[in-house]
Amino acid sequence: MTVINPYIPFLSEIVAVIKHTEIEFTFRMTYSGEVKPGQFFEVSLPKFGEAPISVSGIGDGTVDLTIRKVGKVTDEIFENYVGDTLFLRGPYGNGFDIANYKGKEIILVAGGTGLSPVKGIVDYFSAHPDDCKSFTLLVGFKSPNDVLFKKDFEEWEKNLNVIMTVDTPVDGYCGKCGLVTQYIPEIPIENSDQAVGIVVGPPMMMKCTITELFNVGFKEENIWISQERKMCCGIGKCGHCKIDDTYICLDGPVFNYTKGKFLKD
Amino acid sequence: MLDLNTKKIKKNAYRITKVRGETASRIRVPGGLLTAELLPLIQNIAETYGNGRIHLTTRQGFEIPGIKFTDMEAVNALLQPIIDKLDINQEIPGKGYTSAGTRNISACIGSNTCPFATYNTTNFAKKMEQEIFPNDLHFKVAFTGCANDCIKTRMQDFGIIGMTEPQYQKERCIGCQACVKACQKKSVDALSVENYRIVRNTEKCVGCGECVINCPTRAWTRSPETYYRLVLMGRTGKRNPRLAEDFLVWATEDAIIKIVKNTYDFVNHYIDREAPGGKEHIGYIIDRTGFEEYKKWAMEGVELDLRTIVKNPIYWGGIHYD
Amino acid sequence: MGYQTTLAKINAIFSDLSKDYVIYAPKRFVGDGTFTNIDTIRYGEITDLSEIEFAEKSNYSFKEVLLPISETLFYFTENEMKEADAPKKGAIVFLRSCDLHGLKRMDTIYLENGAVDTYYKRLRDKTKFILMGCENSFENCFCVSMGTQKSDDYDAYIKVDGNAVLVDSHWDLLDAALAGATEASVMPDSVTANNTVVTVPETVPQTLFDAPFWEDYGNRCIACGRCNFVCPTCTCFTMQDIFYTDNGKAGERRRVWASCHVDGYTDMAGGHAFRNDKGQRMRFKVMHKVNDYKRRFGTHMCIGCGRCDDVCPEYISFANCINKLNTLVNDSVKEEN
Repeated sequence: MTVINPYIPFLSEIVAVIKHTEIEFTFRMTYSGEVKPGQFFEVSLPKFGEAPISVSGIGDGTVDLTIRKVGKVTDEIFENYVGDTLFLRGPYGNGFDIANYKGKEIILVAGGTGLSPVKGIVDYFSAHPDDCKSFTLLVGFKSPNDVLFKKDFEEWEKNLNVIMTVDTPVDGYCGKCGLVTQYIPEIPIENSDQAVGIVVGPPMMMKCTITELFNVGFKEENIWISQERKMCCGIGKCGHCKIDDTYICLDGPVFNYTKGKFLKD
Repeated sequence: MLDLNTKKIKKNAYRITKVRGETASRIRVPGGLLTAELLPLIQNIAETYGNGRIHLTTRQGFEIPGIKFTDMEAVNALLQPIIDKLDINQEIPGKGYTSAGTRNISACIGSNTCPFATYNTTNFAKKMEQEIFPNDLHFKVAFTGCANDCIKTRMQDFGIIGMTEPQYQKERCIGCQACVKACQKKSVDALSVENYRIVRNTEKCVGCGECVINCPTRAWTRSPETYYRLVLMGRTGKRNPRLAEDFLVWATEDAIIKIVKNTYDFVNHYIDREAPGGKEHIGYIIDRTGFEEYKKWAMEGVELDLRTIVKNPIYWGGIHYD
Repeated sequence: MGYQTTLAKINAIFSDLSKDYVIYAPKRFVGDGTFTNIDTIRYGEITDLSEIEFAEKSNYSFKEVLLPISETLFYFTENEMKEADAPKKGAIVFLRSCDLHGLKRMDTIYLENGAVDTYYKRLRDKTKFILMGCENSFENCFCVSMGTQKSDDYDAYIKVDGNAVLVDSHWDLLDAALAGATEASVMPDSVTANNTVVTVPETVPQTLFDAPFWEDYGNRCIACGRCNFVCPTCTCFTMQDIFYTDNGKAGERRRVWASCHVDGYTDMAGGHAFRNDKGQRMRFKVMHKVNDYKRRFGTHMCIGCGRCDDVCPEYISFANCINKLNTLVNDSVKEEN
């Protein structure tokens, strides 16, 4: 019997490259298997090594992987262009289960690149607005120059309640400013004890956002988070992403807050 | 009525002191290590013939002050078990130390105790003592376990600094860089990382062993051979105090012993017999003859290991008051 | 089957087995220790049983046989991957009871938690385990507290006593080789008590994670990772990609041991580290060994070999930490009542 070697990646072709900012790009890669928003791939980056990258969009035979140039970790991939290939492993992790949110009032709060793992959810409800009672997308970026998925925002604004805010405005910017938390009380919600909150972003942003959701009456069992950690192997072996008795790569990265609140690094 | 030959007294390891009629006895302890059983014997001499006090010398010996010149013979008798126990070469048993010019061979605590030491400094010091004592020429030799040089070998005529040649087993290396950090912060920054593996700059490496000490997986280990850095002609003094300079790097024990012994021949040949007290420091003799001449004598019959680097020429610095 | 035989006979058998197996055992590596003239006892290949260090505890465990310190997983070019070849021969590993329990912990992670690890499995499947008895407990051992002082799960037990050798074989190949040897009833030597006794708290409330208790370790630990590297149950690794060429398209991927105490363990691509404080790293490790692992897999991870206590350059005692933690847990429960 041949055992499939889970460490051997497969080749995937770059079918499109979308530049968001000077340092953030989305690579549309060929992939025809099952995949959910919030799952991640281990992407082999030339001259560097593997890095876990969340799925930021799911197409017909493709997945989007949004990669940020941080340090030397992910620099090299930006030398790749359409028609080139990358080695991938995955998808790994549990991902978001859209069925959990159907028919509900939904507030999705994302900070910066935290939008990537939840973008598939936004895409889904933007395409199927009748599948939920209401959908508010609340996103915070550092500055207008850091805004990701600009084109997608135009699409989302048609069917969803979209609130975008930046920490630091620049000249000529006329949108909202400040932290995402200050906009939560303004979001119209009929039954907050039934509404769903999805929160992904930097640790501090997530903590404050969840506190604010509690303040407006959300229940913890209706809040979902995704935890970004150093997922090195993706298959429960290397130990880097372990928190308490939880392996983020196997049991997460998506957690209901009833479980997620106990995760202490 | 005292009628003394001070030259003979000094050669017998007694001092002419500032107190008329009183001398002090110097006890040599090669390598600075002795068993505790000798301390009562030293105590007994101090209390019976001295003033009850013992001075710890900079060269790791004992000096017992307040002894009457008239008691030297009795003191010599009491010194005999100490001389025997410490295995000191002696011409006439019972008559004390045969000479005093070649000073006690001092050593740091070494690998018996210290985690940094690369060799057993005591053993090498004792071996050197066996080879060069009781020579009466004024030689200062010291041994130190690692490049930290706690014994201050660079202020001796001959300083011997231990070195180990780090052995790297790359398949045991995890790239944690504990060695790189240690070398950078505590030593000479001789390690770098290439493709997650460590590269040792062999020209920079001083063989201190910090990489070995800090490696958590035994990827770094010590070479079976111990190597030494031999530094020459450091000195204190009125005219031109200076630190010793490197002569040999990655040298062996045999080569070092041979060079020190050869130096006695050199000094015997070139010493200024008219110098005050017939004493002239080696360093000043080399200053007169030139280093090339000294090197010719020193290296006579010396077999060097393939790894040994010979520094040539050597220039000494220091402060010139002359 | 139990046998009594001779050292010459058993050496001959192992010499024969060495055609198909590499034999690993704790060996003395003279002068290979941290300090001058200090030896290391660690696993290495042997050809004769006299090379085995029976009298002392090995500084490092057997785990490097099944989980090499540095292991190439595959070679890659621009378009292809080639799995690194497995060793041709199987392995025979001499180890003590505690380590044999450690093997179970490794199995759990590498064969059960998530996908099966190909590289571990291919070594594991071809490895035979030979128990070394413990007549006496070594310094810092607390196997009895962890219930690992005995194990029946071996392929053979071998005791060398001068020229006489006692064998208890669970391995048909060995039985065949020993056919005709004197049969004997052989019980592995095992200890019934250790000087170090450890009481593991039943559960550790999360409220104690930030207790000042851990700050002491934060001040003492130097994050060298030795405790992890000597531990037979520490199984973490990090991937390394090596590129042979400037264009970065051909090379190899390997994995190397990793340590949750060493800097970088939780670092994200952007540089954020989730556990910078060394006291919190100690808490993480301790909780993993005696709490988290049990919640997930049903047994404590720690097998009580005490190697972490043997090796720590800062004299941090893991065993004492657990005992102190147990007291802290009990005190905090009392306070609540």
